[in-house]
Amino acid sequence: MLRLLRSAACAAALAPAILASTAQAEEFSWAVTTDPQTLDPHAVNTAAVLGFLNNTYEGLVRRNKDMRIEPALATSWEPIGAGEGWRFHLREGVTFQDGSAFTAEDVLFSYQRAASPEADTASWFSPVSDVKIVDEFTVDFLTTSPNPIFPDSIANWMIMDSGWAEANAAERPDKESGNYATLNANGTGAFQVTSREPGLRTVLEPFEGWWGEVEHNITRAEMTPIQNPATALAALLSGDVDMINPVPIQDVARLQDNPDVTVTQGIEARVIMLGFPHQAEALKFSTDTDENPFADARVRQAVAHAINVPAILKTIMRDNAEPVNQLVSAAMRGYSNALGDGPAYDPDAARALLAEAGYPDGFSFGFKCPNNRYLNDEAVCQAITAMLAQAGMTASLDAMPVQNYWPELRAGNYDMFLLGWSPGTFDAEHPIRFLAATPNEAQKLGSWNFGGFSNARVDELLPQIQSEIDEDARQAMLDEVAQILQDEMAYVPLYVQPLIWGTRSNVTLTQRPDNFFILRWVSVN
Amino acid sequence: MLAYIIRRMAQSALVLLIVGLVAFAMFHFVGDPIDNMLGQERTADDIERLRKQLGLDRPFVVQYFKFLENAVQGNFGMSYRQGRPVIDILLERAPATLELAAVSGILAIVFGIALGVFTAIKRKGFAANAIMSVSLIGVSLPTFLIGILLIYLFSVELGWLPSFGRGNVVDLGGWSTGFLTTSGLKALILPSITLGLYQMTLIMRLVRSEMLEVLRQDYIRFARARGLRDRNVHFRHALKNTMVPVITVIGLQLGSIIAFAIITETVFQWPGVGLLFINAIQFVDIPVMAAYLMLISVMFVGINLIVDILYFFIDPRLRVDRTGGH
Repeated sequence: MLRLLRSAACAAALAPAILASTAQAEEFSWAVTTDPQTLDPHAVNTAAVLGFLNNTYEGLVRRNKDMRIEPALATSWEPIGAGEGWRFHLREGVTFQDGSAFTAEDVLFSYQRAASPEADTASWFSPVSDVKIVDEFTVDFLTTSPNPIFPDSIANWMIMDSGWAEANAAERPDKESGNYATLNANGTGAFQVTSREPGLRTVLEPFEGWWGEVEHNITRAEMTPIQNPATALAALLSGDVDMINPVPIQDVARLQDNPDVTVTQGIEARVIMLGFPHQAEALKFSTDTDENPFADARVRQAVAHAINVPAILKTIMRDNAEPVNQLVSAAMRGYSNALGDGPAYDPDAARALLAEAGYPDGFSFGFKCPNNRYLNDEAVCQAITAMLAQAGMTASLDAMPVQNYWPELRAGNYDMFLLGWSPGTFDAEHPIRFLAATPNEAQKLGSWNFGGFSNARVDELLPQIQSEIDEDARQAMLDEVAQILQDEMAYVPLYVQPLIWGTRSNVTLTQRPDNFFILRWVSVN
Repeated sequence: MLAYIIRRMAQSALVLLIVGLVAFAMFHFVGDPIDNMLGQERTADDIERLRKQLGLDRPFVVQYFKFLENAVQGNFGMSYRQGRPVIDILLERAPATLELAAVSGILAIVFGIALGVFTAIKRKGFAANAIMSVSLIGVSLPTFLIGILLIYLFSVELGWLPSFGRGNVVDLGGWSTGFLTTSGLKALILPSITLGLYQMTLIMRLVRSEMLEVLRQDYIRFARARGLRDRNVHFRHALKNTMVPVITVIGLQLGSIIAFAIITETVFQWPGVGLLFINAIQFVDIPVMAAYLMLISVMFVGINLIVDILYFFIDPRLRVDRTGGH
């Protein structure tokens, strides 16, 4: 018996020597929390899918390191006439990863595919009335009204080869039962997918025929989903992966002291805010009022005064986030510099406003919050609950997983809720359209405006903002809307969520506020 | 006898149906899959259309019968998350879980019996007492904590073993195995220890107490009196007679090793069916959850059925009772 134990012990001691790893410097591996659901660039419009596919597919335009758009498959573009649409001049000599040539046909095909009812990206093309091929390398996009931000809004629209899609019966995206394009990719981008095992690993290798200038030094890259944050952190610390996103906030300080690891921090595009039931007759979860205090702008301002955002950022976000006074972060196009700071932390002012609104003794209400959607969301909600209580507003906090949260919000089961918003177009018009416009199903307006906030002037300005070509005039209107939303306190903007990536210290990369991980900007030293 | 078996099988089928019904009733509380399937720019119409298309607008009982109807024909539906047939995904993930369970089971049995015998024979020795004390850890520490501790010790601090995953696997006609590569074998070590530790301590303590019991018996004393060597007494006479209850327990634990691999798989990002199930819960991937729960309940019901039938053959008293009385 003892002999057996002894030999087992010997084997265990020898194992590491035999199994020494032979990793090569140019191989790069990274961990993500969410595996992309599909490799089809038109099937699912989420950051996990589009962010990953940006490495293998390309659009007519792409975003550079500062989020500005720059030429990709189109070399230049200009408005047609007085805003009838946009003309794109395509790059010549580009080939897809399967070797076929890129032409205007592929652009038209990808438009038809991405704008089809089966696609999840159709809303990008709602302003488009027609797409015309002018010649092999020129395409016109005609819009129903002048559309200054159209080139910006299609930065994540990726071009698929028409011949490849037809040969593999993937002319339309199919998210319910999947098709060839769900598991295979054929783009024009810097990397091609050489192996795809959903939920397990996806392997990318450089595409030799890429048209662009290579900045990276990667010969093979592997993406692995790791859901458990502690496991991901251990994988980074042990060198099994070269990069993780995100680093848990509580581990940031510890990682910064570790010479083997670098923490890259930035500001995400996502603004965290509080929302209210503007149209409700009465609160649903109050024990002491049968009115809806939140219908009064003074009560909403009182909420803003009662919350000590800097304290939340210091204790819960450990100084990794920035306060914000509007629905977009400063990195977004159309951010209002003219807008003054929002209500400062002032519990006395909050109580005075409540008294003015007819609630000198405060009131009770229900506060809904997700507990697995945003960084430390539940802890933030607990802090807010405590701060509101000091001003006389007694919230009963109900935190739940996000898969239960959205149905509750849609059903109107809240008196106040927490929401994070990341504008898909990286433009200040986006949250106005989705969060501030009066809900209108037919016009696809206000689809996330759960509380039904409605302001005639905002509704009037939105279409003008969407079609104004002149930058200054457009910004003036955006400033006006930002001012209205602040005066009305339609939402209480709290802070911009941070991005915290952890890498091995021999890796250099670029972090973009959209949280897309762009492999062609990575080098391993 | 045939009547007994038929009755047990009918009971098993009933249990399966009820498990399925309870599972479907609970899916409602897991959340709504629609938001995960549509992007930010969805409209209320999109939500309703998809809900109808997936049949989620109907009561859970109707959804359940639809599932049963398809399952009987071997169709477990499409995963909401991956857009692929659930059965393909389960078959793809099963080898990882089965290999992990097999290695953990073997570790638990081999070390459990060996240490159990050792602690029984050297009951008063220092080593035996130390092993007994340490075994308390295996019983009392939660699996995920053991897993994280092992990762920090052997991957982060010592750098000997991989911190997650299955390493490189070799595909043998639909069965992916990690047994044939060094990285695959290395990757097996920590998860299988984590998963097997509880079963190992269980077997060890059981073997020890059974063995102590047997060593007190007269025939052991006679064997010693006959001048047999200790080794013969311990292994030929004592151990053999302790094995009957041990084998029963091992059989019953086999199912739980597979079912409770969920936590170990999550900690080690082990790409088996348990991790698939956890991901399915987060995504509210109802077809995957339903198929997994049915699979696990079929397994447990199957094991119990086999045990029942075996008892029937082993124990004649049962036979008389069942055919006569009930």
